[in-house]
Amino acid sequence: MSNEIKTQVVVLGAGPGGYSAAFRAADLGLDVVLVESRATLGGVCLNVGCIPSKALLHVAKVIDDAAAMASHGVTFGQPKIDLDKIRSWKEDVIGQLTGGLGGMSKARKVKTVTGFGKFTSDKTIEVEGADGKTTITFDNAIIACGSSVIDLPFIPNDDPRVIDSTGALELEDVPGEMLVLGGGIIGLEMGTVYSALGSNVSVVEFADQLVPAADKDIVKIYTNFNKKKFNIMLSTKVVAVDAKDDGLYVTFEGKNAPAEQVRYDKILVAVGRKPNGHLVAADKAGVNVDERGFINVSNELRTNVNNIFAIGDVVGQPMLAHKAVHEAHVAAEVIAGKKHVFDPRCIPSIAYTDPEMAWVGVTEREAKEQGLNIEVANFPWAASGRAIASARTEGKTKMIFEKETGRVLGGAIVGINAGEMLGEICLAVEMGADAEDVGLTIHAHPTLNESIGLAAEIFEGSITDLPNAKAVKKKK
Amino acid sequence: MSDIQQILVPDVGGDEVEVIEICFAVGDTLEADEGIVTVETDKASMDIPAPVAGELTALNVAVGDKIKEGDLIGEMKVAGGSAEEAPAAEPEPAPVVETPAEPAPIAEAPAAAPVATGGSEVIDVVVPDIGEDGEVDVIDVLIAVGDEIAEEDGLITLETDKATMDVPSSHAGIVKEVLVATGDKVKQGSLVIKLETNSGAPAAIEQPAAPAPVAQAPKAEATTAPVEKKAAPVPHHPQSGVKSSGAIYTSPSIRRLAREFGVDLTLVKGTGNKNRILKEDVQSFVKYELSRPKASASNSVAGGSGGLQVVASKPVDFSKFGEIETKELSRIQKISGPFLHKNWVTIPHVTQFDEADITNVEAFRKEQNVVCEKQKLGFKITPLVFILKAAADALKTFPTFNSSLSEDGESLILKKYIHIGVAVDTPNGLVVPVVRDVDKKGIHELSRELLEISIKAREGKLKAADMQGGCFTISSLGGIGGTAFTPIVNAPEVAILGVSKSEMKPKWNGKDFEPKLMLPLSMSYDHRVIDGALAARFTVHLAGVMSDIRKLIL
Repeated sequence: MSNEIKTQVVVLGAGPGGYSAAFRAADLGLDVVLVESRATLGGVCLNVGCIPSKALLHVAKVIDDAAAMASHGVTFGQPKIDLDKIRSWKEDVIGQLTGGLGGMSKARKVKTVTGFGKFTSDKTIEVEGADGKTTITFDNAIIACGSSVIDLPFIPNDDPRVIDSTGALELEDVPGEMLVLGGGIIGLEMGTVYSALGSNVSVVEFADQLVPAADKDIVKIYTNFNKKKFNIMLSTKVVAVDAKDDGLYVTFEGKNAPAEQVRYDKILVAVGRKPNGHLVAADKAGVNVDERGFINVSNELRTNVNNIFAIGDVVGQPMLAHKAVHEAHVAAEVIAGKKHVFDPRCIPSIAYTDPEMAWVGVTEREAKEQGLNIEVANFPWAASGRAIASARTEGKTKMIFEKETGRVLGGAIVGINAGEMLGEICLAVEMGADAEDVGLTIHAHPTLNESIGLAAEIFEGSITDLPNAKAVKKKK
Repeated sequence: MSDIQQILVPDVGGDEVEVIEICFAVGDTLEADEGIVTVETDKASMDIPAPVAGELTALNVAVGDKIKEGDLIGEMKVAGGSAEEAPAAEPEPAPVVETPAEPAPIAEAPAAAPVATGGSEVIDVVVPDIGEDGEVDVIDVLIAVGDEIAEEDGLITLETDKATMDVPSSHAGIVKEVLVATGDKVKQGSLVIKLETNSGAPAAIEQPAAPAPVAQAPKAEATTAPVEKKAAPVPHHPQSGVKSSGAIYTSPSIRRLAREFGVDLTLVKGTGNKNRILKEDVQSFVKYELSRPKASASNSVAGGSGGLQVVASKPVDFSKFGEIETKELSRIQKISGPFLHKNWVTIPHVTQFDEADITNVEAFRKEQNVVCEKQKLGFKITPLVFILKAAADALKTFPTFNSSLSEDGESLILKKYIHIGVAVDTPNGLVVPVVRDVDKKGIHELSRELLEISIKAREGKLKAADMQGGCFTISSLGGIGGTAFTPIVNAPEVAILGVSKSEMKPKWNGKDFEPKLMLPLSMSYDHRVIDGALAARFTVHLAGVMSDIRKLIL
């Protein structure tokens, strides 16, 4: 069976970028077809990424919190873990969201074609689906084909005991000894889940700090807090994995490498993601894809081919859903004739670990590299009433100001709920707010969030919740 | 305690002023508000008063120096220190905290007043007040990196709507960096060069560099602030190809708005709190850009508020018909062309013709010129001076002529001053310098001023300010010939008087013909503002005054 469809806009991929582009284009009055290889919309993020991992992290958090209660006089006893039930709850979460997307797609009259789409020219895409081929003739295309996990060549990837983030979310079992290869956000999040469920988790990272993109002082707080939870090996790499019947024997090399091979029940490979630019036959449309699989775009998200746009992970770092969604809106709006460009000042990053790490704008290290004249204000959560009451005083709120103008250039938070607090700093950076603006905004007390206002007061020299380094000595 | 007070040049109402007298010497004791030095602006001379009472401890200027607002004149030791210490000892927490680190203000002080320090400093030299609100073109860059320049040396040449001028260096030194190029647009405050001052060079500071600025009290810092502020608009210099969107102080919604209108936000001046760019700033920028006449042929045709649709003329190959030569229009022609065109097509012109009997005034003028020569006054009285006076009198009598239409065309703005533009033919083209307060000046004063203006005009030395503020214009072709012409109103003025060559004519006095010297007048006016009857009354009044100048004193 062969179908032929003509449309104004075709969107290739229905992840957060893809469906946002399709919905926005439809809302702007365009005729839209959405092509997706999965049975449901939402892409990696909803099906095997952001959302299911948060469901499991919620489980982990409650387990850890319950355990922590023992020292405050409430004991729950050992948790009983029913993996099947946890898994099905996670599936419910996914189902609820993808189902919602399906409904919204119908309401917007966005036609969905299920199957793997590939370009056949700069006007046509062919979709290979379960029920045959569909040829879509389009005026404009938006490539939103995303990214996939990077495999390492020296690892027995076919061994079922070697898993990636998708495998980890499947929650097949709780391994006794688990190695997380890669100390980035995804590795640490999944490590947190498995550790709470009972695994002994080791983390190996080639760089000299976990989450290398974040500032050292922020990560250090995280690392110190998790010293007991994880066996962390920094500046170390895996050089060989020997798959034996009783386990995977791993050879390490580097500064903190164990001398002997170490046996693990499972290895989670979380060393990053690679763009899927090579998977859509973009060359047939004349779209340039670089060696690594990225597609270069202008600030209108236009590729080198005038009527073909690309958004999301496939156009470059950071590979984050919220970046893709904003790019999606711009691409759809440009196709609809609006003079918009993708021009954010900052894109936030969050590690939903325990404690959470969240940062936006320039980091202190970037500021130094760029030669910016900055002043950093740190508010330690040991001085926060809310943090003390929650028995989580390890956190801190760090604001980075342009020294001369007090303009907020960036900020980072480590601590519980750090991710939820970050939005205020994003807004401050985008709006060009300065320390005075943030400091004069009344933050509710007692909250963790007020630490942002208090950090601004440190810069301003008006802080009263801490000793004030900028206090003026009265002259006699 | 620091009881040394810096003396800085206050707002003197002009860009640069010349020191014409030093009233006190170092070591003298003076009262607050006593004049320390006398400066001369183009309008007046004035004393710069001592900010406090005390002893003059340093003087950094000499007679003949040019100084401007914010320059350091000298230092004073405050009398009875305690009075001045009081404010320093009572710090308001907020401002002090905002300038926390002591090193900062001290490091900045030399930039504001480099003459007071030893060693070399790199300072920013910015465009001074050039009498233009908007941006002007840089048409020439006179220096290069590495050049050693003296104070007052020209750095770049700017072209305003009406004049060209050089931007002088505020200090002597070696050019470290040139931040503008020919073709750039700059405005007051734009960064021109970075200059390494070899502070030994300026002759004015022979006395040892006083340690005083280092020990500045907060008060002294406050007085240096305006100088630093002047340098602040620098980020707006448009030539920076790198558009760091981070440097622009505005919100994402305004950035999108600007994008939609194609506005380069680096060119927009923010009027919000701390110079934040507001929606209104983008809107007014767009409005300004749309209303600004562009010196291109296509714009010139399409321009005008009515959106005049004209059939484009086909290009003609004139060389087919004979030898030709292509000569570029002069700068002034290129600039004035679009203005003239706009005025011609947007203002409903009517020209009223009349004649003035100037037999008596010419006789009087010739008598007076003999006197002028005898007294060696150095100028001659021209007929134009009398026309100026008569026009001033007519403008007073008919205030409608001394007005402009408001931007929305809803009201008339009447002016209580009488400044009259005089069209002057120069080798570079037509310019219209303005004679101020014509009604308040005598014949001799006006004659002298006209002489100076015309020399300045012919030498191309008129400043933008010299050509602004006119209420009415006189264009005299009397020295050349012709009987009448139809001048174009010089908007936003509403009328212009054209004067042709006077001629002896027989006039009937009731009994017989008398020879009378008649001056032809051609007055064009904006019919939206002025009725025909009023125009006739105006020229009749003007001719009446010319025929008997005793009426001027009535």
